[in-house]
Amino acid sequence: MVFHTQAEFADVRCVGIPRALLYYRYGPMWKAFFEALGREVIISPETDKALVDRGTALSVDECCLASKTYMGHVDWLLDRCDAIFVPCYASGDARQGFCTKFQSLPDLVRSTFREALQENHTVVLSCEFAHLGDAKERQKALSGLALSLGASPKEADRVYKIAIRAQQEAEKEATAHLEQTLKLHNNLVKLVAKDKSGQSEQPLSILLVAHPYITHDRYICGDVIDALLSMGVTILYADEINHKQAYKQSFDFSSTLPWVINRELIGAILQLKEKVNGIVLVSAFPCGPDSMTDDAIMRVIQGIPILNLMIDAQSGTAGIQTRVESFVDILKFQQKGGYVHG
Amino acid sequence: MASHLPGVDPARSAIAFEQDVQHEPRLLPKKQKKPKRDRHKRLKVTFFRYAYYEPAFRYFVEQVLDTDFLPLPEATKHSEEVGVQNSSDYVCTPFKHILGDFIDALEAGADILIQFGGPCRLGYYGELQESILRDLGYDFTLLNFSQGIEQGYFGFAKETLKVVNPDINIPYGIRQLLSTANMVNRLDTARDYYLANAGFEDVPGSFAKAWANFMDAMNTAQTDHDINQIFRDSMAEMRAIPNHKPAYPIRIGIVGEMFTAIDGRSNLNLDEKLVAMGIEVHRMLNLTNVIIRSRNEANLRLSAAPYLTYNMGPTSTLTIAAANQYANEGFDGLIHAKSAGCTPEIDCEPLLQKISADYEIPVLYLTYDSQTSDTGLDTRLEAFYDMLVMKQAKKQKLSRR
Repeated sequence: MVFHTQAEFADVRCVGIPRALLYYRYGPMWKAFFEALGREVIISPETDKALVDRGTALSVDECCLASKTYMGHVDWLLDRCDAIFVPCYASGDARQGFCTKFQSLPDLVRSTFREALQENHTVVLSCEFAHLGDAKERQKALSGLALSLGASPKEADRVYKIAIRAQQEAEKEATAHLEQTLKLHNNLVKLVAKDKSGQSEQPLSILLVAHPYITHDRYICGDVIDALLSMGVTILYADEINHKQAYKQSFDFSSTLPWVINRELIGAILQLKEKVNGIVLVSAFPCGPDSMTDDAIMRVIQGIPILNLMIDAQSGTAGIQTRVESFVDILKFQQKGGYVHG
Repeated sequence: MASHLPGVDPARSAIAFEQDVQHEPRLLPKKQKKPKRDRHKRLKVTFFRYAYYEPAFRYFVEQVLDTDFLPLPEATKHSEEVGVQNSSDYVCTPFKHILGDFIDALEAGADILIQFGGPCRLGYYGELQESILRDLGYDFTLLNFSQGIEQGYFGFAKETLKVVNPDINIPYGIRQLLSTANMVNRLDTARDYYLANAGFEDVPGSFAKAWANFMDAMNTAQTDHDINQIFRDSMAEMRAIPNHKPAYPIRIGIVGEMFTAIDGRSNLNLDEKLVAMGIEVHRMLNLTNVIIRSRNEANLRLSAAPYLTYNMGPTSTLTIAAANQYANEGFDGLIHAKSAGCTPEIDCEPLLQKISADYEIPVLYLTYDSQTSDTGLDTRLEAFYDMLVMKQAKKQKLSRR
């Protein structure tokens, strides 16, 4: 047993954060945290083919595309920083859990890169968040990490507050963006309605429902977004919804659904389905939580067309484009009155 | 067995559109007022098929819930097919098996189905299966242990009284619940003995016969005393079976996912196949170790400290700790069995690879989906066994020198 007389990671100067998975949800908090501690923060670049290929080679075959991507990002960071931040988000609360992937990531990274980490003298920085709703636990986890990086207790407190504020602001901004998009779209609808010439087409809007690390990763979801935008469709991002409200609302849909992100997405669907023309579900193959929720959404949500797209590493742009185009055609047809009912 | 998941095409897509809104956007309809209960009607209650635990499920239903147990016949090809047809494509395989079982049960006349709650996707099995079955037109009650999970035992008790039988004598029920736990424990202990010794019987089939007798007897147990008596008798019967166990048999440890690594139907009778080859089989993973004697997870994790820092998932700690222990004890090989798409166990694989490298212990990774072939498994097991035998012979040769 070694008793550490001083902070274990005090000499870490530069912290790397993989731009993948929960970075797209908690990135602002993590970044602000390490920057407030006076560390240099390196965030791996946007996903590209090389990163995905590297990650695929490093992962077990059956892993989902998003987690393979994560491994590629970690690999990129290995020789560029002193420490890589891989937090553990566990599912202590039965209804506010995550995919077990986020729970196993620290040990997965430590095992997969065991030799490489030693060679590069890189350490894995981590802390555990088991109960999402428990602010005290979150504070303890982050403060503990700050202490191990050599901060004083008082400083750890300050850093924690800065990190939380950054996170709250980022979420507020995202929600504002969603509301603004909705408002602009409604204005456009009104404008077109006023136009009596009948020349201009009715604008369409869709709700894009996917985990944030799918939606905002250009490599994974860019093709879908580009295809939609090129057809003049307004996109509302479901993950930008107010998390608390959406979470609460999701209980109308299901009482036992265990994953918090899926809950928020379903809450977003319930809130916004009257305000959009269609819903597009995107998931990375083979996503565990989505395997059970997408199917349920397709069966249960009625009165609105839903497109479910599964993205795989080898997906060609053409396949996605045709599918999105034909879906938008359905929406247009629907908007003009659809099939005449008996 | 396929390491690639089947049927992956570049962008799989589906469109759903139901123009008329026929019901509210919720998975299950709001609970309607229950019709008045017929006090004289005995309710038929069924669990899904799960390994050798039927006697324990039966005991629970008869003694704790005070209802009738509806035993399910052996699973058929049809049970599996309807399960697969009505599930989402890439949901984990146990979901499909259990859905098929429930359809079998409902067609056999069950009134109440029981589903566990738990971590990972298991916590959502019940509600989704109920929704699928209702869409198929079945009418039934589901006792879903995922419902009361926030309140722990109290929540489960409340749910049971509400859903199944409000007349349960609670003090008696609790005593019987403890007996159920005792039975699970006895079943697992007997199974451990069976797995370790059945491979070396002199007369082929004698262990299988003793096991079948044990299951029959356990299925008739009415009290705690019965359970203990049957256990003692059956263990004596199994111990008396003449055998030729060598001093250093090939030893294999099975680790993996809760359902597939134990359930014979899901893993294509992995236990029997290994035993028939003359292997001593160990499996720490069973209901006793996961639920009843669930050890302090944090302490168990410490036993595999070089590999684990956090709890990685539902049974991941047990998988890694057991593998580590088997490796330490000088086992000849490990088998990691899981269903296709089981995220927590997929994440265990890189760690097992490190254990395998550190201790020079071979690991056979088996992934089961609904298309896994029996002969394919035989070939792989035989090849694995041959390798272990050669490795052992080489080791003995070296030590003799």
